[in-house]
Amino acid sequence: MEILRTENVNKIYEDNKVPVHALKNINLKINKGEYVAIAGPSGSGKTTLLNLLGTLDKPTSGKIYFENSDFTSKSRKELSEFRLRKLGFIFQAYNLIPVLTALENIEFSMMLLGVPEKERRERAKNLMAELGIDGLANKRPNEMSGGQQQRVAVARAIVNNPRIVLADEPTANLDSENGSKLLDLMEKMNEEKNITFIFSSHDKQVIERARRLILLKDGRIVSEN
Amino acid sequence: MLVKLAWRNIWRNKRRSLIVTGSVVVGVVALIFIDGLNNGFLSQMLFNQVNLNISHIQIHKKGFNDNKVIQSFIPDKAKVERILAHNKKIVHFSERVIAFGLVSSAISSSGVYILGINPDDEAKITTISKSIIKGEYFSGKQREIVIGNKLAEKLKVGLGGKVIVLSNRPDGSIGSEVFRVTGIFKSPNSEFNKAYIFVPIKTLQNMLGLGNKIHEFAIITTDYKVTEDVKNEIRNQLDESYEVLSYRDILPLLIMQMELYKETIYIINLIIGLALLFGIINSMLMAVFERINEIGVLMAIGMKNGKIFTMILLESLFIGLLGTALGLITGIGLTELISIHGIDFSLFAESLENWGIGAVIYPKLTLENLIAMLFMIPFITISGAVYPALKAIKLEPVYAISYV
Repeated sequence: MEILRTENVNKIYEDNKVPVHALKNINLKINKGEYVAIAGPSGSGKTTLLNLLGTLDKPTSGKIYFENSDFTSKSRKELSEFRLRKLGFIFQAYNLIPVLTALENIEFSMMLLGVPEKERRERAKNLMAELGIDGLANKRPNEMSGGQQQRVAVARAIVNNPRIVLADEPTANLDSENGSKLLDLMEKMNEEKNITFIFSSHDKQVIERARRLILLKDGRIVSEN
Repeated sequence: MLVKLAWRNIWRNKRRSLIVTGSVVVGVVALIFIDGLNNGFLSQMLFNQVNLNISHIQIHKKGFNDNKVIQSFIPDKAKVERILAHNKKIVHFSERVIAFGLVSSAISSSGVYILGINPDDEAKITTISKSIIKGEYFSGKQREIVIGNKLAEKLKVGLGGKVIVLSNRPDGSIGSEVFRVTGIFKSPNSEFNKAYIFVPIKTLQNMLGLGNKIHEFAIITTDYKVTEDVKNEIRNQLDESYEVLSYRDILPLLIMQMELYKETIYIINLIIGLALLFGIINSMLMAVFERINEIGVLMAIGMKNGKIFTMILLESLFIGLLGTALGLITGIGLTELISIHGIDFSLFAESLENWGIGAVIYPKLTLENLIAMLFMIPFITISGAVYPALKAIKLEPVYAISYV
């Protein structure tokens, strides 16, 4: 079942007043439950594409559909609500809120949804136990290793049961062992919860373990398998 | 959780938050102290005038206050005494004879207001008896005179020295009497010390041939606050031939100055408030610019603009509340402590005494201003965060999230 579709998506931005054609005629279809890696060399447009799919940016032309609904024309407020309810993000630099503990970071997106305090605490604790990070509950990001922080970031991304999780170079700051553990975790979530995962990465490990690989070069999809 | 997040955010950069909180504290303390000092200044001016001579309420024959002619006697003294004696809000009252005349020593002379008083009653009305710096307040003899230190200097007369007092009688002839200086007073008002003399009422009545006629009743009520009520009660019991005046009627310029000050303190508050406002704007802008990436992450995970805006306003409000609380505690404590001994402005004693204030100012807090600050400062700190918060929510998520 199709969950995400792009139609002739182009993105042109200005870099020091010089127009840069970052994405060229991207046509893409992603089905529910897929585990997709977007790969390519630096500057190929991976992050730009991920930002567009994550509604953090708008295409210069073309359409992006989520469950057959075009969200390129939606307002900031609607997109914010959409991200909160339907998307999860995992960032290269983890980007946990530094003043909150691991438990509070996971609770935070539930708080934004208005989940009552007792319920969100219970859900966050259960998820932490499921991901094997319950010992980190009261630790702040600066008290955790990169691998631990990224696991908490995964928990934050999936706690609201999103349809899609977008991960921008999730293993880039991790060593291969921690990177592998993170991929195990995400595969598990994909299989058990049927969450669609889309990565951007040029990490060999990620590319090898992806079930579908979209290869970008100079803003174009050059291969898909 | 938003409250928790905002509270923790302000302590991420402790030094900056403490400096901003400190500037709020300094602002609040400055406002409290300036207000206390000005209020003390004006209160002392009023208090001194009222307690030196004016009293709370005066009763005269109509027109006497504007034109103090010797013939303007109280029409029915006994009737007024009965009214005053029956009013429970009146604590003390005293009869006075008032004349303008000349006092001369062997060396010099000076124009003065001559107040004929009943020393025992007057001691309950004014502070003259407590302001004696040499000699004593009346001992009961008939030809005793109490004069101010400035007048004593001018006349070059000391204790026991003889002076002659001259004044017009109602029939136009000149009445005169020789007095012996029994006491020299020094009040906080140098003009008063130069221009007022006190003699026993009987002696002055005899000197001017007044019989037992008087010009004035000076009255002290139970409280300043009831003065206008008491004035109106007395006025309702007397006919049109009397004038009943409160200290507010007698000192209109001073009262106007006090009213004006109430407006002025809002301008001072506004100036200090504006300085605080720009400090807060600057600080909160820095706090936002330092966290652009984090704000981008919050936007990415679905935090709506309203919540981001509220979070930044809350951060500023916490600084404002903390600063206001500490400022109020420090300001009130400091002002109360200083008000015990007052601030000695001896360097400016002469000009202060010309204003009838005295060299030592005792700061006095006003509840009104404290309450105003309790609301004003947090309001300013919230206002100061509006622009930075607007800047934050106008950030493009894609720009913010990739900001380094």
